[in-house]
Amino acid sequence: MVRVLINVPKQVFRSIPFEVKVLISHPMESGQRRDQVGQAIPRDIINHFVCTLDGETVLDADFFPAISANPFLAFSVVAEKSGILALTFVDDQGVTQTETVAVNVA
Amino acid sequence: MNRPTALGLALLLVAAAPPPPGASSCSGCHGGALPLAGREAMQTTETLLAFRSGERPSTVMGRIAKGFDPSELGLIAAWWAAEK
Amino acid sequence: MIRRRQVLAGGLAAPFVAKAQARARVVVVGGGFGGATAARFLRRYDPALDVTLLEPNTVFTVCPFSNLVIAGGRDFAAQRFGYDAVRAEGVAVVHAAATTIDTAARTVMAANGTRYPYDRLVLSPGIDIVWSGLAGYDEAAASKMPHAWKAGEQTLLLRRQLEAMPDGGTVVMSVPPNPYRCPPGPYERASLIAWYLTKHKPKSKILVLDAKDAFSKQKLFQAAWKQLYPGLLEWVSLSDGGKVTRVDPASLTFETEFGSHKADVGIVVPPQRAGAIAAGAGVADRSGWCPIDPMTFESRLVPGIHVIGDAAIAGAMPKSAFAANAQAKVCAAAVVSLLNGKKPDEPRLINTCYSLVAPEYGISVAGVYRPANGVLADIEGAGGTSPPDAPAEQRIQEAMFGEQWFATITAEVFG
Repeated sequence: MVRVLINVPKQVFRSIPFEVKVLISHPMESGQRRDQVGQAIPRDIINHFVCTLDGETVLDADFFPAISANPFLAFSVVAEKSGILALTFVDDQGVTQTETVAVNVA
Repeated sequence: MNRPTALGLALLLVAAAPPPPGASSCSGCHGGALPLAGREAMQTTETLLAFRSGERPSTVMGRIAKGFDPSELGLIAAWWAAEK
Repeated sequence: MIRRRQVLAGGLAAPFVAKAQARARVVVVGGGFGGATAARFLRRYDPALDVTLLEPNTVFTVCPFSNLVIAGGRDFAAQRFGYDAVRAEGVAVVHAAATTIDTAARTVMAANGTRYPYDRLVLSPGIDIVWSGLAGYDEAAASKMPHAWKAGEQTLLLRRQLEAMPDGGTVVMSVPPNPYRCPPGPYERASLIAWYLTKHKPKSKILVLDAKDAFSKQKLFQAAWKQLYPGLLEWVSLSDGGKVTRVDPASLTFETEFGSHKADVGIVVPPQRAGAIAAGAGVADRSGWCPIDPMTFESRLVPGIHVIGDAAIAGAMPKSAFAANAQAKVCAAAVVSLLNGKKPDEPRLINTCYSLVAPEYGISVAGVYRPANGVLADIEGAGGTSPPDAPAEQRIQEAMFGEQWFATITAEVFG
């Protein structure tokens, strides 16, 4: 489990885009670096990220090694009614993690 | 009467020998309670070498002396010995 | 022995006296650790030089140890220095700010209306705050949320605010991304404020909101915080959402991407760049700092101008008073060589930087540097921080050495 910070506005408005901000504590080891004895450090990045709103996919992204450690994501979402925003990501070790947050439509 | 004055003036006008690499940084800490100027060169060199090898315990001097090879430390010590 | 030296000196003196008539002119801008040192050592390395130092303040307030003033552990007067000794060295000290630099005509215009011509110019302008760099933070905001990153009235303001804060209050400090003046400074400040709070307002807290995940002497600071200030000092890293995106001086609020923090005393260590005169002279690049040739500290952008101290991009060397002083001496030697048509020697520079975690708990970082691939690079195997497992006596000793360092360096620069 890695630490994830999520920020959505306390209240959003129907059909009006709102911003979702996410900060994931992940080393995003690129696989290009070597350790002190010259051994390649194995790649370990988040390779896939999906955001759904009540089960409907609103963002689906493949990540690559150029993305920095502790990636910060900001994107816009439109909601028609209140629901649950779920963020799911998978890293190179095969670990899948999901975090959820409620979206309240005025 | 005139001659010593002229010589004294000449002394003032002569620029100090340029410090060898690294030497001018020392006076950031050294002076006052921890003087280096005029300190006997061999003594300073030996102290610096002992800091460098860790033989003589220190707080920062070991970390600094490791940035120089023995001949560079000797030059620095000799320059400080000639300083007033 | 003395006789021999005099004779030798007499023999060598003639060419210098002859050269004295040429009177090469060097103007130095900025009378801090870099500029005042450069001016004095230019005169020492070549007593025939005509050296002018432009510095608006008649009394200079130094930053090192100002965090202890803020925490109530040191007298403000101990931070103040005049220029009598610099003058006595034969430097023409002019208390006027440099306003514009004409690089084609090689002149500096000062606020007193006088134009100062130069053969070589040394800029040591220190830092300026990038007021547009953090939303909500401008010059007016600094009177509510002090930065105290240039010692002086701001130092005293922050001291008064801490004194006025009731027990149980929260101090919040934001820290910018690199680079900025004095890399360990924010953490020393947090430590010493925590020391003050522990003694006088033990129900209070200090929260450090950082735009970085790692910082100078981090392990040493964090171990000491755990030992000395448990539960009182909290550091929030970038990946914990610590990056401050906006401040509101009216409500003393710090906003991050993930929440907001209300302060009783709010401190903003703001984003910074080289002093404005550097950009005016065209020696600052798009980063806001000044690229230099590490052999001579001559600007990569404008020939004939040397940049030292916090304003310079000095590679692995940090922006510290010690570094500015060391660079000034190397730069002065290089300027003298260049004016005499000689090739400057390859320099070696040292930095030593002490931080206080408490008045009797000092830690240090040191480094040795040389030019490599066009920048000042760390010499491998040298330098580093105090050991993490050092006994308490060594922390006391390093606090003492820090104080001695202050006495010695200020004597060399101003005394």
